[in-house]
Order: sequence, then C-alpha cells, then structure tokens
Amino acid sequence: METSTSTNMIWVLLQRFGFLLVFAAFFGLFAVWNPVFLQGGNLLNVIEGSAVLMIIALGMTLIVATGGIDLSVGIALDFGAAFAVVALKSYGMDWFGAACAGLIGGSIVGLFNAILVIGLRVSPFLATLSTFFIGSSVQRIFTNGGGPISHRRMPEEFRNLALGDIYGVPTEAVIATVLVVLYFLVLERSIWGRRIHAMGMQRSAAIVAGIRVNRILILCFIVASMTCAAGGLIAAANIRMFTPLSGFSYLLDAIAAVFVGAALHPRGRPNVLGTVAGVLFLGMVANGLNLMGLNFNTKDALQGIILVSALALAVAQQRARNPLVS
Amino acid sequence: MPINPVRHRRISEIIGYLPLIIFAGVLLYIGLSAPNFLTFRNLELIVMQSLPVVLVCAGLGVVVMAGGDDVVSGGIDLSIPATAVLSAGIIAVMLTQGWPLIVCGIVAFFACIIVGLLNAALVTRIGMTPLLTTLAMFVAVVGVNNVITSSRRINVDHPLIVALRAQDVLGIPLGIVVVVVVLAVIYFVTHQTRWGLHLQAAGGSRDAAEISGLPVRRLFGQSFVLAAFTGFICGFFVLARGSGSSPGVQDNLMLEMVLATFLGAAFSARRVVTMWGAVLGAVLVAAISIGFKSMGVNVFWTGLIKGSLIVVVVAFAALARRGR
Repeated sequence: METSTSTNMIWVLLQRFGFLLVFAAFFGLFAVWNPVFLQGGNLLNVIEGSAVLMIIALGMTLIVATGGIDLSVGIALDFGAAFAVVALKSYGMDWFGAACAGLIGGSIVGLFNAILVIGLRVSPFLATLSTFFIGSSVQRIFTNGGGPISHRRMPEEFRNLALGDIYGVPTEAVIATVLVVLYFLVLERSIWGRRIHAMGMQRSAAIVAGIRVNRILILCFIVASMTCAAGGLIAAANIRMFTPLSGFSYLLDAIAAVFVGAALHPRGRPNVLGTVAGVLFLGMVANGLNLMGLNFNTKDALQGIILVSALALAVAQQRARNPLVS
Repeated sequence: MPINPVRHRRISEIIGYLPLIIFAGVLLYIGLSAPNFLTFRNLELIVMQSLPVVLVCAGLGVVVMAGGDDVVSGGIDLSIPATAVLSAGIIAVMLTQGWPLIVCGIVAFFACIIVGLLNAALVTRIGMTPLLTTLAMFVAVVGVNNVITSSRRINVDHPLIVALRAQDVLGIPLGIVVVVVVLAVIYFVTHQTRWGLHLQAAGGSRDAAEISGLPVRRLFGQSFVLAAFTGFICGFFVLARGSGSSPGVQDNLMLEMVLATFLGAAFSARRVVTMWGAVLGAVLVAAISIGFKSMGVNVFWTGLIKGSLIVVVVAFAALARRGR
C-alpha cells in the first residue's frame, strides 16, 4: 500500500498512460540528443524505414487475431521476393506480372500453413515453425546454398515500388498506408473482422454461432502470407536482388509490434491501430539509437532491452486499466 | 457406419506408435546406407553433439510442465538458448581476462539466474504471456551477450572445459556423465518431491491447482529460474562443443530445442511434453541430422527433413488423439 497520495497519483498516471509517456519520453530524448531526429526528412525516414515491417506486422496481426501465430512470415516475404525477381529475370515479365507472381508465390506459403493447421490439425505454432524449416531449406536448395539472385537491370516501374514517390510521398509508405487502411476496414469495421475476432476469442463459441471457422482460417493464412509477399516485393525492389532467408529478421519485430498493439487495446485484442503504434515505436527507437552514433552491438542490446521494457509496460498498463482481462 | 470398437482402438494405438516407428525406420535406413552410422563410437558422438540441446530441452520441459502445454498461452521459455549463450559468453570473456574458472562460473550463474528471475517476474507479476516474454528476453539477452563478447569468436582451452568434451570416466565421456547427473537431479526434483508434484499439478490444471490452494504463480515463476539454471549449465557445454564462444549459436539451439521438445510429446503415452520425451527427441534429432550428413545428403536439405518430421509426428499424434 502506498502511504503518500502523491506517489499514488503518479503510479496511477503511469499505469494509465504509461506507454504513451514512454513513447513521448523517447521521442524527447532522441530530439534533444540529436536535433537531426526532428527534421522532417528524418521523420519521413522513420516511416519509410518501417514500411516493410508494417506490412509484415499487418499479416501477423491477422493471424494473431484468429487465435494463432505465424512464424513463417519471413518465408512468405522471401517467396514473394524470389518469385518476383525470377519472373523479371528469367521470364522477362513486366513489373505487374512480376508483382502478381510474387503475390502468388507468397500465397503458396499461406496455403501450406492452412493445409497443416486445418487439414492435419497441427497447432499454428508448430505448423508455421515447420513451414519455416521447410521454406528455409527450399530456398537454400533453390539458390544452391543461399547466394543472392541479383537483377541489376530491373524495370524502372518495379524499382519504383521501393524508390519512387507519389506526389512526394515514398511509394513504399503509400503501399503500407493503403494496406493499413484496408486491414483496418476489414478487421475492425466489417462483419468479416467480427467473425475473425470471434473465432480468435472463443473458437468453440464461434463454431456454435455458425461461423465457418475453417474457411475463414484458410483465407486468413493466404491473405496474411500474400501481404508479407507484398513486403517482399518492396524489399526486393529496394536492393534489386533476392536475398534468401532475409525475412527472418522481421519475425521478432513483427510479433513484438502486434503484442504491444494488443496490450494497448482495452480488451487486449490484437488490432490494426495498435500494431501501427507498435511498429512506429520500434522504428523510432531504431532510428533514434542510430542517430546517437552508438556502437552496433550496444545499439542492438539497447533495442532488445527497450523492447522487453516496452512490452512489460504496455501489458502492465492494460492490467491496471482492466484487471479482468486474462 | 459400424465400427468395431476394439479394432478401432487398436488402430488408433498403432497410429499413436507411428512417430516412433517412423523414427526407427529413418534411423535404420540411415544405418543401412551409411555403414559406420550404427557403430558404438558414432552413436557416442551423436549423444555428445546433442548434449547442449538435451540440457535446454530439459529446462523447457520443466517450464511446460509447470505452465501447461498450450504453446501460445501455456508455459514456454524460448530464452533458455540465449541464457546458455550468455553463460558461455561471460565465461569465455572472463577466462581470457585471466579470472579463475570458478569466479567466471559464479558470475555467469548470477547473470543467468537474473534472466530467469526477470522472466518469472514479467510472467507472474505483470502477467505477460510466456511466449512473448521469453521471445523478447531472447532478443535482449542475445543483444547483451553481443556487447559482452563484441560479437567476436572467443577461443577457450581451459582444461576443465576441454575435459567435458575429451575426458572419459570409466569409459564413458565425462560430458555425458555430467548431463545424466543433471537430468537425474531435475527428474528427482520434479517427480519425486512435494514441490515437483505441486509443479505438475499447476501445469496439469491451473484452476484446480489454484482452488486447492497451491501457489500456482510462484511455482510457475520458479520453473523459469530452474530453466535458466539449465541454460547456465548448457553454457559450459556450448563452450566445450565449439571450443569457445561464437556468435549465432543461439538461433540453431532455439529451433532444435523447440523441435525436440514438442517432438518428444509424441513419444509420451498421453502425448504431453515430458522431460524424457524432450531428451529423447533431442538425441533423435541430432542422430537424424548427423545421419543424413554421413549419408552424404546435402546440408541444404536438413531444414526440409526436420520440418517434415515435425509435421508427420505432430499430425500423427493429433490423429491418434482424435481416434481415441
């Protein structure tokens, strides 16, 4: 029990607005440390740099909302990049055909997950883990050990997916924003979204209520992996090559962003706006620490520690607001 | 459709044994194709290779025992491999600075226990899900370890560490003896003591345990500390196996740990994660990776084989459960 009311007040305030305060505190710290952080160009950098993670995290949000988890988002990203680059390089397709090929490549991963989870009744965690193993191996076999496939003379239109801009806004940021809006409308404002959340919260109740759980789950896995493949297209366009196994690096950040977002939600559900906040927080911290000019290892460690603390704070805040959420 | 209930049960029992049969079949196939695979010397090498994974699997087994075996909401500790690497990193760095091994060990011990306590506090006090907590902790601990070791490889040739790999006791390698002793202690603590009984009760049915007045949260927290302890011990074996600490060991260790532990569930009669199942799983996974390598199968294929194994084994386990 707190004896003084003023410390009690601070505690309550911290619990209620903790995450927001931390967000603001980091923002302030970075701004004071290096004024460059606040310049419009840099803030745009943060958004542009977070675009791919944002897209991956959206796919992850969808799967976590169904009550599962997807450890194979990186594989879907890699497949998207690989199919697109191969379509451009070996089949001479135009940018649109290549993009479609990439999305189809990604959907294979989702379909595979769906078969494992629904057909064979493997739990999503183990199913997507084995998809991760199998997908990594397939990439190694295909590239003969993991060498990148580069395509220097990539069509201008395809490159513009990453490097172009639409009325001054970077294309990748536009794509990410469009996807955020679409996901928000579908997941939070439509009957499909209701059904997805319903089956994520109480699978058996959703079945009793007549929701076609399996069909929705299949669709969700495919849509999520296609979304990740779209992220792969941007990543491939950015560096003009396909680097095998590069998607793995997004996995932990995507999971973290989704769960920070879920913790910010009043009922602890994964949600699109929360995910956006989570991704922007991670992007801001990465950018700010970079501008501090820290050694690479120190930066990595700090990022990890900040991640743990932010998650803890977000969850603690949610508990304080609503102790009944389990 | 009339089904003979007795025959039906027998079929589902056979399906239940299929994972073991598949493993036995694969090993036999390797044994026939790679002539030296089934020699005593090679089997000993396989067990030696699997020791670090065996240790972390035992730790994960305890956490799953205490938290229930739902992967997402139940007990899981993905940070054990990171703890192991942290332990290895601290010992390696301090040894090169000339500290005696015992001092290095004590420092590493406390560092690992702190990680375990942090996990426990975040999960039981703040109420974060174990999967998320330990995943984030994995990232943070690996980051800290990279600062400690500057992401460099550090060679270790301390006689005691080398002995773990090379010394024999009564014809059995010292490393195997040590791990068996550690496993026996963990087994005794979790299966033969009152505390262990409470721990299993907490994981078996959280609500029932809470109603009976068991301190479920504290027990769950303690399992994370025990898991961190296995990570600490594993650090020595990581050093012994790799002749030092090298960056990046943790990723493979984590994947193999999860693979082996949940494969192990398929070997238990009730299809739950058990410590022995996890240990058996770890040895079998090592046997199969080494076996395919000695058959001359390209290493690119190992991920495919491992992934398919999870699918086959877990799917058959699910089938057997449905048939019952």
